[in-house]
Amino acid sequence: MVEAKKVENIEFKWGKQKGVGGKKKDVKFYEAFSYDRVEYALYDSVYMYKEGETEPYIAKLMKIWENADKTKKVKVLWFFCPREISNYLGDEKTPENELFLASGEGVGSTNVNPLEAIAGKCNVVCSSKDSRNPQPSDEELQEADFVFYRTFDVGKCRILDKIDDKIAGIEVKFLLNRVGNQSSSGVPKLDSNKKVSGNVVATNDTRILTRTESYLGEKATSSSRVKFNEVTKINDRLVDNSGEMASSSSKVVQISDIKPSLANQKSSPGENSASNLGLGEMTEDNKKEGMPSDIIASSSKDGVGWIESKVDKVFAYQVLIEEKVKVAKDCGDLDDRPSKKAKLDDLAKASYDNKVTGVQKVSHDSNGSNSKSVAQTTPASEDKSKSNLTKDHHEKNSSLSKRPKPDEKLTRLANDKFPEASLRQPSEEGSKTNCQIQEVTRRPEAPWEERMQTAHEQETLVLLQNLDPSYTSAEVEDIIWHAFKQSCTVKMIQRTALASPHSGQAFVIFQKREVAEMAVAKLDEGCLMLSNGRPVVGSIAAPCFPGKQSTFFGHLAINKLRTHKQREMKEAVSTSHCSQPNTLEYEMAMDWCLLQERSDLALRKLRQQQRQELRKLWVTLKCK
Amino acid sequence: MSNLFRFWMYCYRLSVPSYMDSTSTAVADYAAFLEKVKRTVYVDNLSPQVTESVIRTALGQFGTVKNVQFIPNYTGPKNIPCCALVEMECLRQAEAVVSEITQFPFMMSGMPRPARAFRAEVEMFDDRPIKPGRRIQCRWVDRKDPDFEVASKIKRLVRKHAAEDLFLLQQQLAQEEKLAKQQEETLKANYKKFSIIDNVVSDGTAPGLAKFYNMKAFDS
Repeated sequence: MVEAKKVENIEFKWGKQKGVGGKKKDVKFYEAFSYDRVEYALYDSVYMYKEGETEPYIAKLMKIWENADKTKKVKVLWFFCPREISNYLGDEKTPENELFLASGEGVGSTNVNPLEAIAGKCNVVCSSKDSRNPQPSDEELQEADFVFYRTFDVGKCRILDKIDDKIAGIEVKFLLNRVGNQSSSGVPKLDSNKKVSGNVVATNDTRILTRTESYLGEKATSSSRVKFNEVTKINDRLVDNSGEMASSSSKVVQISDIKPSLANQKSSPGENSASNLGLGEMTEDNKKEGMPSDIIASSSKDGVGWIESKVDKVFAYQVLIEEKVKVAKDCGDLDDRPSKKAKLDDLAKASYDNKVTGVQKVSHDSNGSNSKSVAQTTPASEDKSKSNLTKDHHEKNSSLSKRPKPDEKLTRLANDKFPEASLRQPSEEGSKTNCQIQEVTRRPEAPWEERMQTAHEQETLVLLQNLDPSYTSAEVEDIIWHAFKQSCTVKMIQRTALASPHSGQAFVIFQKREVAEMAVAKLDEGCLMLSNGRPVVGSIAAPCFPGKQSTFFGHLAINKLRTHKQREMKEAVSTSHCSQPNTLEYEMAMDWCLLQERSDLALRKLRQQQRQELRKLWVTLKCK
Repeated sequence: MSNLFRFWMYCYRLSVPSYMDSTSTAVADYAAFLEKVKRTVYVDNLSPQVTESVIRTALGQFGTVKNVQFIPNYTGPKNIPCCALVEMECLRQAEAVVSEITQFPFMMSGMPRPARAFRAEVEMFDDRPIKPGRRIQCRWVDRKDPDFEVASKIKRLVRKHAAEDLFLLQQQLAQEEKLAKQQEETLKANYKKFSIIDNVVSDGTAPGLAKFYNMKAFDS
């Protein structure tokens, strides 16, 4: 290790003073300062390094002051990176350089740190579409180190899109983009990806600890939560932890005087570090490579970290750090720009795709059928669109029967149906799926249901059985066309858990009653054989329309309660939950599970038997 | 998915594509559809009071619910429970839903009958695209053809099976009704016991007796 001499001072100069404060009016607030030849101002975004961490933390400077004893402090508001709140993001993929501003009431949004903990300036651009936020140009977005448009509420532990009026007591307009140009030229581009073995640490290891634990690991356990108060007034408080970094039971000792506590620290032999600087302490356990615990940030290009400590190890370490930092800086911009760009591209492309397909859909409609363009995406006119679609489909029906005639391909019955099928189906499919996509509600596909009902009344509804379950409605329509030279509308019945896997069923709506009757008669007397040896079974359908079912077995309610606590009961009914094993409800649920198992078993046996019977007959078919 | 399908169809009508063109897009569509099927969960044993929003909130605990589609029951007996297809955002979420609901009894809109969940299958969707490369053939079988006889038998068998299915369903319903009634009785009895105890405690009898017998119970 290199033995450095006493460390030089990192250049520092105060900027414009903002005022005075404190009990004795001896604390000076500032708006700006220059540290290590970089200009910082209030509400700038800065990097803060922590020992042992490869990635720096990013924060916004909220308050800058100098105490009577000449110690310099900053209060910072944290940004969270997606990694830290991955629990709350879920599966959402965020760009690498997206950050979340801390907001809300609670532990972990702000901290007071020594000014020397600052590792550098950072270019964070707010891309929120909030009206108060001056919108950044594309160039600015690309040049930015990080982007944020959402906040993470530390109290509610939730990601919020809406930005409040005040965060941490500061009006939001200061936290958004600055009006006017943001000078990014002076920002030393610290590549956060490079491995820079920990420089600085924010004083509050525990704060970081709680953050890590709360947001990275399990949801915040109260045992590990550190109780410390938000520092509003300047106090020389140092919170240090004597526990392990990753353990969940960390004790926090809040002290008002720094020096004695340092002396108490068992881990730092002979290290009377700059108490004024309020350094973070870590026990031996925490040390990853046996590094000393008093480290401060240094992002200086030339200098070594400025500390008042006289520990040799620390100096050496500083030099080590400084070299690495240099290396990192030299390598310049390895920002996650490519990934961000890619992400932006993807988003743009996706939205463009949607637009394109939307346009295509509409134009197809006007092409495919004789009807006018269908208003598809206006939810307000849903009814109108429904009727439009039914009209559309009816017209299509009639047009379909005319269409095959000019088309010469559709002459042969037997082989090679695929191209024709593909020609006819998509239009049908498309229009049909159009109808069906519209109504994804409790009473689905009302047009189909209505049509079915009217068809049933007019006796044009036929039920086909013994189809291949994997057929689609359009294929069946084609089959009907080829078999009977009739066009029709078909809906394959969706298979449920109870339905037979051997035989698929479909509802067919013919044009006229006579046609339907003829078809059924023909299917009965004759035999329409499909591939795989399936003779189609047809019958006049008698569907049951799902009305207001009131009888559902299995949901019990206590009648007496209903009269007294109606509202509660209603609420109780609507919550879905997993039953707990120690309740009566659980035992009853087990009864139901048992019954279900029995039913399943019976059904399985039946299916087996049916399959055997069918197979026996299939085998005897000569040509399949 | 069907948007893409229509888009493809639109192209098709403009120009006469080669056979390969249509198959490749069809294959892509079908692949996309299969992917959707993998992400979808089939939920069963739902009460008719379950609405889309209920399902959304319930299964929203496992992830993002993209789409909810109820499967209407047109053929079966009237009282069988409802079922729905719930499309989740990704495969992992769908698997999580299925495993949770199968392991623990999950109540939706009422107790104590739990809902069921399976992975969805292709045939459960009614707006599915054509499986590419499938050829369907059909022919009318002549009476003199020996297959005719067999075919008629098959037809009869199919009808028989349908009747069997219906019968089984009705039996199941009857059993469910029985169990429900039974449980209702149990519940009533339990509630009665509970309310007796509750009354006794609240109106002072129990504490009074406890004092009389020098017991420490019922001290609130």
